[in-house]
Amino acid sequence: MEMRMYFMLIRASIKSRLQYKFNFIFSMLMAMLLNVSEFLMIAFVLLKFNSIQGWSIYEVGYLYSVILLSKTLYRTFASDVHHLEKYLVSGDLDSFFIRPIPILLTLMSQNFFLLIGELLQGTFIILICIQHFHSIGQVDLWIIPITILIILAGSIILFSIGLATSTLGFWLTRVEMLQNLTEDAAMNAVRYPLSLYPNWLKGIFLTILPLGFINYLPALYILKQDVGIWIIGATIMVACLCLWLSLRFWKIGLSRYQSTGS
Amino acid sequence: MIEARQIQKQFKIPVVKKGRFSGIRTLFSREYIIKEAVKEISFTIKEGDFVGYIGPNGAGKSTTIKMLTGILHPTQGEVKIMGLNPHKERRKVVRHLGVVFGQRTQLWWDLPVIDSYDILTVMYKLDKKETEKRLSQLTELLGLHEFIHTPVRKLSLGQRMRADIAASLLHDPEILFFDEPTIGLDVIAKKKIRGLLKTLNKEMKKTVLLTTHDMDDIEQLCEKVIVINDGQIVYNDSIPQLRNDIGLPTIMKVSFVGDFQTPTIHHNMIQIIERTNSTITIQYNRHQMKAMDVLNMMQNWGEIEDIHMDEPQLEEMIQEIYQTPEASKESLVVS
Repeated sequence: MEMRMYFMLIRASIKSRLQYKFNFIFSMLMAMLLNVSEFLMIAFVLLKFNSIQGWSIYEVGYLYSVILLSKTLYRTFASDVHHLEKYLVSGDLDSFFIRPIPILLTLMSQNFFLLIGELLQGTFIILICIQHFHSIGQVDLWIIPITILIILAGSIILFSIGLATSTLGFWLTRVEMLQNLTEDAAMNAVRYPLSLYPNWLKGIFLTILPLGFINYLPALYILKQDVGIWIIGATIMVACLCLWLSLRFWKIGLSRYQSTGS
Repeated sequence: MIEARQIQKQFKIPVVKKGRFSGIRTLFSREYIIKEAVKEISFTIKEGDFVGYIGPNGAGKSTTIKMLTGILHPTQGEVKIMGLNPHKERRKVVRHLGVVFGQRTQLWWDLPVIDSYDILTVMYKLDKKETEKRLSQLTELLGLHEFIHTPVRKLSLGQRMRADIAASLLHDPEILFFDEPTIGLDVIAKKKIRGLLKTLNKEMKKTVLLTTHDMDDIEQLCEKVIVINDGQIVYNDSIPQLRNDIGLPTIMKVSFVGDFQTPTIHHNMIQIIERTNSTITIQYNRHQMKAMDVLNMMQNWGEIEDIHMDEPQLEEMIQEIYQTPEASKESLVVS
């Protein structure tokens, strides 16, 4: 039932956006272009070095595309969780309270935006990488379902971090700078193997911002067989824990909502 | 039906630091100004009542409405809507509520009006057939057919308000909260909305709580009025009672030819509000004095050139009279 409601709101959101067709298509194309240029830069660096600390270009490509696809799922299906600040500043969150559905669900369905560029690019790269691993006999086809699983778990972890950061907005109102840190910077950092980073930073990515569980740790099992399959279970557990914690935090945040004067 | 028991709302506003790194220092500072938006108010609204909720800007009206609808949690006290707590059981409570914020639409801005109603039908899990019937009723009542297929953003303010009101009624709620529904409307549109609100209360038996700055709304619609000032209820009774309390205040502005003298002995039925070189503005109560008597008296002060009489806005009067909350402690008692 909640799902049906959610998709109905998503449909309304898409229909609203299609009212401005030019803007809809143009912004999608721009986002795509931006993404491709970003990737080209990384590819350029990688091609120059060929490998980073024992990780081949394909392996880094795998890390990159897993995090990219996780982010794509999160931002597509919960777009405005990232933009809660906008609703807090304007007081537009008010109207979500008077509907008999969860406030978070309403928020998630606002301004639905299909990140087509990221989706295509991520799928393309991951397929190339998997094809390569398979051709040199590094992995078997089990990698496909496991990869899908970690992408899903990853999107939940990213969603939780995004939600928790936005929720801080109930106290701080402005959280944009913080989001740059916990979302954007963190996601950019884990595109590369964590072994590159100093221990304290590694520690952060395995605890308070557990992005390491999305791509790096599972890749140690999937690509390197350095650790056992249990790490996949750990990723799923971490995802569940993050989701639970962030939802609790969200509830507390909501009770602190101050609205705006009118 | 609606019960507010000693509700309070305090906002903590962080003290903004000045100077270097002010942003970060504000973030980590524990200094707050506590603003008491609502100090401690209690009231009960019974089924079928039409209650006006008035007070100056910043008195705590919106804050109260937001606490009643579950948007804000009271710092202290408790709200009960049909026996339910809107904070603990928000999703249940809102099914009984129809809410219209005059300043803010709750329809899908870029979609045709009818789409919003379709979404709401699913959202409230309403029976399709029954909803269709209700919608055709509402269409007739509100004249929705003129614009039901128009995107909300293209509606005039009056149309938008009607569309919003219909949306708030779709799930057939028992209680209606209208926060300034006539704000910004022209006289004709206002009249239409008022007629509608009356029908909702009288014929459809809805309990209505209305906040407004328009005293005509209050006079024409409400049976009871709650006045809030500075976060406290200063009046809670019927409209005729309010009139009795206030009397018939009248303002008279008189200009004199040249100089004039006011008597040194203070007249206790006339209050001087403003005085310039050649004009004087006074206030008196028509219950106590006739206009002719006032004029006769003023003729002794100087040669009158022109007079202008005015009945002050009810709201101003209310504000003036109840500026000292102590003066009306007894009206805090809830009926």
